Amino acid sequence: MFIRYILKRLGQTIIVLFFISILAFALIRIAPGNPARMVLPDTATEEQVHAKEIEMGLDKPVYIQYIKYITGVLQGDLGTSSSYQTSVASIIANRFPATLKLTAATILVSLLISIPIGIIAGIKQGTMVDFFAMLFALIGQSMSTVWLAVLMIYIFSVKLNVLPAMGMGGIQYIILPAITLGYPLAAQVTRMGRSGMIDVLREDYITATLAKGIPESRVYTKYAFKNALIPIVTVVGLQVGYFLGGAVVVETIFSWSGVGQLANQAVGNRDYALVQSLLLVIAAGFALVNLIVDLINAKIDPRITLE
Amino acid sequence: MDRKLIVKRMLHSKFFMTGAIVAVFVVLVSVFSPLLANFDPTTNSLMGRLLPPGSDGHILGTDQLGRDIFSRLLLGSRYSLAISASVVATSAAIGTFLGLVSGYFGGKVDTLIMRISEIFLSIPQLILAIAIMAMLGTSIVNLLMVLIITSWTQYCKLVRNNVLVQKNMDYVHASQVMGAGKLHIMLTQIFPNVTTSLLIMISQQIGQIIMVEASLSFLGLGIQQPTPSWGNMIADGRTYLTTAPWMVIAPGAALMITVLAFNFLGDGLRDVFDPKRT
Repeated sequence: MFIRYILKRLGQTIIVLFFISILAFALIRIAPGNPARMVLPDTATEEQVHAKEIEMGLDKPVYIQYIKYITGVLQGDLGTSSSYQTSVASIIANRFPATLKLTAATILVSLLISIPIGIIAGIKQGTMVDFFAMLFALIGQSMSTVWLAVLMIYIFSVKLNVLPAMGMGGIQYIILPAITLGYPLAAQVTRMGRSGMIDVLREDYITATLAKGIPESRVYTKYAFKNALIPIVTVVGLQVGYFLGGAVVVETIFSWSGVGQLANQAVGNRDYALVQSLLLVIAAGFALVNLIVDLINAKIDPRITLE
Repeated sequence: MDRKLIVKRMLHSKFFMTGAIVAVFVVLVSVFSPLLANFDPTTNSLMGRLLPPGSDGHILGTDQLGRDIFSRLLLGSRYSLAISASVVATSAAIGTFLGLVSGYFGGKVDTLIMRISEIFLSIPQLILAIAIMAMLGTSIVNLLMVLIITSWTQYCKLVRNNVLVQKNMDYVHASQVMGAGKLHIMLTQIFPNVTTSLLIMISQQIGQIIMVEASLSFLGLGIQQPTPSWGNMIADGRTYLTTAPWMVIAPGAALMITVLAFNFLGDGLRDVFDPKRT
């Protein structure tokens, strides 16, 4: 059953990846103007543009152009960046580790905060503790990344002067961007954890274990929590997509040189080849993360594979 | 559900009442903003640059070009709310229609619509919006289009899942037996039963779209200067954080309060319409 489920999800992911590649391919063609001119610097002459058109195969039918594009992509050739004048693949590969580091820190920070709050709020449903936990979550969901980032810098860098406002380096540099990016996730996980706990605690088997005299704390952490975990894993997976978007804003504001900042620079430089490839790489990465998340969920709860 | 019970629950829900009052207030302020603004929001004044709040009649101070922040905030609220409202209305209409069709007819139609929406869901909204805006160029029409393209799928999925549950209910079977047409069943039987979840989502999406628009405007891909928007006001003020923090705090607080109000409203609605509640 598990193998069949893996194959099914793998097939779906491949279809999604195929359409993402078509979208990325089409993107550079919906832009007004000549695609050959776009990948060249502004100073290019007519002859250079014409040579580039032939090099890019723009005189050929669209499907042949696509096949050429996708064969290149599969071999790791994402084209040449007009602003950096080097291969797009190597630029992105250089910037990826920074974004991965930020993403990992973000997930860590937000889960460390939100899981305990969510569980306690669920157990203490209807109390003041629960009310403040929900308030914490609602504010987190209402904080625009743009505003939260600037507010964090204002409080912690300008007023209190305890954390650096921008740049990369030691652990102190990652704290503000990770919290900024992580608060909305923490908000959502708090809510999921809370409602998961509430649902699980209504189940008969929890009442039964409590009645048997097993300590409450053990029932909550061992039995109830495991069942509240599945929606949390799914949410974290879906939120990775949000991180990658939010990373554009957060990395730009905190001068964190990852792919998000790169995307903003590429847009500013009108570096279309780079924008196109970033869309492709980020969307593909997101699709793979969701595939992995689904497989983890299927491992935690084998019933999922039967659907 | 009983109408009296709903009203009673609404009046008792702290989240709903707070959200509703603040949201109505924000909408009214933005509608009547020309009457409230005491300066022209786009007039520069070299003499009055970076004035702190309260000086020379500038309630919230001025920005780096001497423009009145309070007036810009009000005009910005019009753009944010109007864009968000039209995006939410259009994408909810498209998503609801496709969701109804997908859920009710099932089969190949369902598979096709669901596959398409999966593809859109698999691309991070802001990334797709940035890529499209960068390629097409920045204009309000493009902004609206991008936001609609990236948000209809959520309504589609929600409505479809609701329809799948509803379509096997007895009342639908009864209508079918009585010979009601498919369109009739979809619109007059099933649709009224999915409106509650739709309403909750719409309320939350209004805040969500305001935030996406703010991010795009902050990055210079949304509303362009000199037209004010909360996002580009924060972008302006970021450079003057140490000397003129009010430039950022005013639009940031407005953004937060507005989104918070609509999220409170959505959450309150969920509570009010919760069928499990006793």
